[in-house]
Amino acid sequence: MTTTASPRETPATPRLVALLAEFDSVDELLSAARRVRDAGYERWDAHAPFPVHGLDDAMAIRPTRLPWLVFVAGVAGCVAALVFQWWTNAIAYPFLISGKPLFSLPANIPVSFEVTILLSAFAAFFGMFALNGLPRWSNPLLRVRRFRQATQSKFFIAIDAADARFSPEATRDWLASLGPAHIDEVRDDGLDAALPKPLVWGALIVAALALVPPVMIAKARVTTGGQPRYHPFFDMDAQPNLRAQQASHLFADGRAARMPVAGTIARGELFDDTALYLGQRRLSAAERQEQAVAEAAADPNQPPADVPPRDGYAWVETLPVPVSERLMLRGQQRFNIYCAPCHGLTGNGEGVVSVRALELQQGTWVPPTSLHAEHVRQQPVGQWFNTITHGVRKMPGYGEQLSAEDRWAVILYMQALQRSQDARPADVPPDVLPQLQNSP
Amino acid sequence: MNDHTTNLLDDSAALNLGELAPRVMRLSAIVCAIALGLALALGLGAGDGMRAFQFAYLQNYCFVLSIALGALFFVVLQHLTRAGWSVVLRRLAEIMAATTAPLLILFLPILLPLLLGSWGLYVWNNPELALHDELIRHKLPYLNAAFFGVRCVLYFGIWGLSARWFLNRSVEQDVARNDRLTMRMQAASAPVMLLFALSVTFASFDWLMSLDPHWFSTIFGVYFFAGCTVGFLASLILAVAALQASGRLTYSITVEHYHDLGKLLFGFVFFWGYIAFSQYLLIWYANIPEETVWYLARQSAGWQFISLALVFGHLLIPFVGLMSRSVRRNKTWLVGWSVFLLAMHWLDLYWLVMPAYSGNQPILGLLDVCCLVGLGSALVGLSAWIASTRLLIPVGDPRLSDSLAFHNV
Repeated sequence: MTTTASPRETPATPRLVALLAEFDSVDELLSAARRVRDAGYERWDAHAPFPVHGLDDAMAIRPTRLPWLVFVAGVAGCVAALVFQWWTNAIAYPFLISGKPLFSLPANIPVSFEVTILLSAFAAFFGMFALNGLPRWSNPLLRVRRFRQATQSKFFIAIDAADARFSPEATRDWLASLGPAHIDEVRDDGLDAALPKPLVWGALIVAALALVPPVMIAKARVTTGGQPRYHPFFDMDAQPNLRAQQASHLFADGRAARMPVAGTIARGELFDDTALYLGQRRLSAAERQEQAVAEAAADPNQPPADVPPRDGYAWVETLPVPVSERLMLRGQQRFNIYCAPCHGLTGNGEGVVSVRALELQQGTWVPPTSLHAEHVRQQPVGQWFNTITHGVRKMPGYGEQLSAEDRWAVILYMQALQRSQDARPADVPPDVLPQLQNSP
Repeated sequence: MNDHTTNLLDDSAALNLGELAPRVMRLSAIVCAIALGLALALGLGAGDGMRAFQFAYLQNYCFVLSIALGALFFVVLQHLTRAGWSVVLRRLAEIMAATTAPLLILFLPILLPLLLGSWGLYVWNNPELALHDELIRHKLPYLNAAFFGVRCVLYFGIWGLSARWFLNRSVEQDVARNDRLTMRMQAASAPVMLLFALSVTFASFDWLMSLDPHWFSTIFGVYFFAGCTVGFLASLILAVAALQASGRLTYSITVEHYHDLGKLLFGFVFFWGYIAFSQYLLIWYANIPEETVWYLARQSAGWQFISLALVFGHLLIPFVGLMSRSVRRNKTWLVGWSVFLLAMHWLDLYWLVMPAYSGNQPILGLLDVCCLVGLGSALVGLSAWIASTRLLIPVGDPRLSDSLAFHNV
């Protein structure tokens, strides 16, 4: 066994912190540890390159308090998370989510679970550090050169000078009796105690700076400002595009809105079927010839037709839409809505509007035409269509209220109405005919 | 008790069931016959076409089988992880897992009536139901008696054959002391684990989830598996305690092994709770009637108390109770918690199965008790029978010394 000669005690000699005994094997360490334990020392530690089984018992290390720390932190985390969720979702900003209760335990469990785990983990990690007295800036043990072997191949026991039973000479002699390979003195190097000044100042400055954002936020919450709110994430809120009523310097008239290109046709507005949309059909060359002849031969004193079709066109004589019961029922409905007020439900011109107007006797009312009149019957359906669309004389046009198909439906119903007042025996169903013939 | 540096293996007398085996087998057989006979009589007397009997039998059968399946999982897991601590416990688990093969016979009271057309238990077996119910009609390619039967054969085949195989290799190693057997068991453990996972999942779908054929939950298999493991770990603790009380395995199995079983029990109790809550939360949150119907049945007409009992009794209370290291190292406390958790596992299966029988109040009757006693004693008897000719510890395992010297830090 060798001993490092201790320097003469001068005022400059650093304070003795611990005595370090070095051993060559695990068994030596264990038996020495047991003797140190039995001798009543309380402030001491053992160092080994690998975990030594049974060292806990040999050193009489008490079970750590860390699990209790973790448990308390976990419970605190759970409670904190629940309270947080309760306060935010049920009290501060009540917000219905999926129709669930404002404070709903199932929904709150995932967050509570995670926060429990988080705080438990923090407690375990930081608590372990704290219980080990870490972080330490410097450990005087590391200044002893031989101690480096603690991570290689040697085993050490260090008895703290602050221990009640410690005395520099007596403890050293007693340690020597344990049979160590070497005894070292561990002296205070003065580096451990104080926090480095730059670190303190740095931490204070960072802490002060860290207060700035919360203070700014707090101020902003209780004041109003002249500037619009700071908008960090645009999310396509303010787009540099031009809208309908804005000005634009790109165009001479200064408007951002432009007219459509000439000849633009909106979808669904290519009214290319003149029969359907105008009630007119194009005449063939032969028909045009005939028409010219008829016009030349016509009586100049006879008033012209109500509204003539376009040049080279004639009114259609038949409906350009397929006839069905559905169309008929539609026509009935539309007729009753739009036409019946004036023309009456039967088309005889005695609609409620007309009856009322005649009652008023103001002298300006022109009674609506009866749809059963002969001149109406004579007109081709295309002309009826034109009448419904643009109106005639005092009647306004209904082209805006009724679509082309609806107008043809009304025309179909008009034909049915006319037939009802001008029926022939052939129109009556055979099984009903005998009833008519037999009735008085 | 014993110095951890010089752990002894029990002597050969303490490694065998010895004369305990025939006594246990005889007693179990008698109790099983009486209890199941009484159950059958009660079922016939109930006058509802044996429905009550079938439900009670199914629930208790799944309880007993879940312990055997948990045992199989344990065995395969120890090989998969090349564990050293658990060797002294593994033979007991192998024995319990090997009961799955004979348990097939006890499944016949469920399977045979189904194959013969009974739909008192599984309504999807009713051919008229498919006429009116479009959902059932679509599920018929899977939920039909023939395919069901084929799958049963498949499940019991996988479990029975793999449990037997692991037991036989381990017993072979008792004599041969051949390390290659350990290599083979380790190599087999991975594919067997996959087969185990799939078979347990689909078995739980077939036998438990299809009780309400309109409902489904993809996590159901995991839920059942979690229950199996809790049930098995509790049973293993009780089995070890009982054997040690009879003077067997007193040196080989130490407080350290109890500690680890306690840790696993704690972990799997929480795992069960996690899975149970996951299943509940997703259905609760989406609030879709197709899915909530199952939980609604378990939240009304008295079932809500059983649900709450499970939340507190199967999760919260055991979680806090098993947390402490000293509890896990105390045999008495651990045995107490194991009994409690076995009861909770039984309650869990009751809660899974019975609402399909009657949406009304949960009623515990003599029928349930008889089925439990009957099937439980069958499990004990079968285990004793399988253990009777074998050692209770795999003495040939190369990691036996690790296990005997096992020490928690």
